Amino acid sequence: MLEYAWLIPVFPFVAFILIGLLPRRTLGWEDGAGYAIVGAGGALIISMLMIWEVINGRTLTIDAPSTEWLVIGGFSIRFGIWIDQLTAVMLVVVSIVGTLVVIYSGGYMHEEAERRRRYYAEIMLFISVMYGLVIANNYLEMFIFWELVGLCSYLLIGFWYEKPSAASAAKRAFIVTRVGDIMFMAGIIILLKYVGALDFATLFASGGVSAVPQDMLTLSTALIFGGAIGKSAQFPLHEWLPDAMEGPTTVSALIHAATMVNAGVYLTARTYPLLVQTPDSLLFVAVIGGITALLAATVALVATDIKRVLAYSTVSQLGYMILGLGAGGWLLIKSGSTAGYSAALFHLMNHGFFKALLFLCAGSVIHSVGTNNMRVMGGLRKKMPITSITMLIGALAIAGIPPLSGFWSKDEVLSSVYHAGQFDSVFLLLWFMGVATAFLTAFYMFRMWFMTFSGEPRSEYHAHESPRIMTVPLMILAGLAAVSGFVLFMGEGFKLFLERSLEGLPMLVPEHESFADIASNVFTDVFTYLVLGLVVAGVLIAYRIYHMPGFDRSVFARGFSGRMQKVLENRWYISKFYDDFALTVWYGFSLIADKFDRYVIDGIVNGFAYLGANLGGVIRKAQSGNVQRYASLIVLGIVLLLIFVVYILPWGGL
Amino acid sequence: MPIEYWLVFSSLLFAIGAYGVLSRKNAIVVLMSIEIMLNAANINLVAFSSYHTALHGVPDASGQVFALFSIAVAAAEVAVGLAIILSVYRGYQTIDVDKINILRW
Repeated sequence: MLEYAWLIPVFPFVAFILIGLLPRRTLGWEDGAGYAIVGAGGALIISMLMIWEVINGRTLTIDAPSTEWLVIGGFSIRFGIWIDQLTAVMLVVVSIVGTLVVIYSGGYMHEEAERRRRYYAEIMLFISVMYGLVIANNYLEMFIFWELVGLCSYLLIGFWYEKPSAASAAKRAFIVTRVGDIMFMAGIIILLKYVGALDFATLFASGGVSAVPQDMLTLSTALIFGGAIGKSAQFPLHEWLPDAMEGPTTVSALIHAATMVNAGVYLTARTYPLLVQTPDSLLFVAVIGGITALLAATVALVATDIKRVLAYSTVSQLGYMILGLGAGGWLLIKSGSTAGYSAALFHLMNHGFFKALLFLCAGSVIHSVGTNNMRVMGGLRKKMPITSITMLIGALAIAGIPPLSGFWSKDEVLSSVYHAGQFDSVFLLLWFMGVATAFLTAFYMFRMWFMTFSGEPRSEYHAHESPRIMTVPLMILAGLAAVSGFVLFMGEGFKLFLERSLEGLPMLVPEHESFADIASNVFTDVFTYLVLGLVVAGVLIAYRIYHMPGFDRSVFARGFSGRMQKVLENRWYISKFYDDFALTVWYGFSLIADKFDRYVIDGIVNGFAYLGANLGGVIRKAQSGNVQRYASLIVLGIVLLLIFVVYILPWGGL
Repeated sequence: MPIEYWLVFSSLLFAIGAYGVLSRKNAIVVLMSIEIMLNAANINLVAFSSYHTALHGVPDASGQVFALFSIAVAAAEVAVGLAIILSVYRGYQTIDVDKINILRW
């Protein structure tokens, strides 16, 4: 049954080919939306079957069928599939969100008459390669799909390519993630050099990387994580994601919230068997995640573009996952517990649902109001009841109000980071940052919600509830966002389920937790209530400032908070730093290089040409026509020859 | 009388001739200088010839014959040289060798 997993990417791919190549009149409804839904739906159905198989304890890892793809001398690269619990978690997110987003697009992209076709083709290609990335069974295959999702991301961010901002955002996303991709590539090249194979079965077997020196292994895992820094928009390569909001909102929801940006987390989780052998890399992972979570959350406080708030929130939540993975690795090394690992992936799944939901709600609002700017919205609650309710569910979920999904996974992540703190105090600092992030998250999400939906309209606009094709996916996603947290208690518990994907690791100490254990762990931990209190406080502060009348918001623009606000509005000057760096250092270097090329290199080349052209002019002066001068030179030559023969040769011993 | 005297004399004569060829402007003088150099060579030939005879006690006239040959050849060569100078004069109205640079690029 699991052998048929390779069919998952085939369905959307066929849809991509058909939408791309069929004559337009045969595409039918919405220029190909029908094909797209069938393609995504087919993949969804097979994915669900696969997930069912995995839940029932069957996996397909080392013994998976593979096909020879490339033979170089004695080295062969085989492509195959790798289905384990981790793959299943990703498949859940990609298949469900992907299908719902495609359905939603049927309504959202209605006005893009001439270019809907290109949109559907690209989105189908994206879904196809995303599945490919998820089920790949070796790093090379993964890397190929990794690049392809980057390509689709570029195409779809630049969907409205006639807007300069969209075109440059697309380029930026492509180039910045490319920096990470190169690191990823360097990491797998190191592995290839020492091990001579890239398939997970070889690398993850015990002693699979024993041929690699420890420092090179650390470098390799850190570089592979560098790929994740690029794709998952972690500090310092995170600035592309907010800019990527230039694309259609459906694209933001699918690619830049639920799937592609999760690929970095997925890659880090996939590399776990190597990462646990390199604690230094894990520390690096955790620190990057923690910094990103807090940094992005602070910037989200002042964003006024509804999609940018969500984008920064995405960056921040991805930081949580990365932090959870980093801390979870230490937990696994020191105490054999997979709590952090499973918490991070649990958060990945929940985040996929509620962030896609939030984005689609934002899309619904934008679709209705025609602007992204939250300052001119307000009071939409009455006009768009379904959207406002579903978005409220999403906001509650991400803020971490029980019993919605975000509460469970955020709590798990934070508790695993806290537990890792007993092995290295850095994690305590990171835990503190994570807690602060939780508070900020609650605040800015509700700031967004109140600014958008509550109160009175702040400008004249005509708003209406979106059509059913858009609201039904919203409702489904809202349901998922509400209940996906209970996966924690599914069967023997989500943690044990994911633990099986790491079964081969020597340091793993299997734990069996009952339903009651999990629940008591959550509800007897004092920090759960601390975080919960902070979250509620965040929501209440947002309510006081942005919902209740009479609060003078100009207080923020004064004194220290005013300076802080300026820093945040300029996104901590990171973008500016990059721009300045490019303008001064890099451009200066380019100028020097240009001068060097122009004068030195071209000088040498042209110098030779000049030599050929003008050397004759120098030598011709010898041809004076004066016979006496010729004769003099002959005599001089003879004299020199004589001197040479008579004095120098004997002196030289001849 | 040692042969070195003759050889030093003839090399001085040759050097004077060479200097004349290389430095005088008048083509006729240049020709005369060439003759001086030939004379230096002839003196050498004759000197070696007599030195060879004195050394081996066997009369050997090949050096003398060589000298006569080169005198004859020199005479012919001067005739050709003068003819060239005359025809150059007709073309250039001068026999100043500095001005005759027909070989120039």
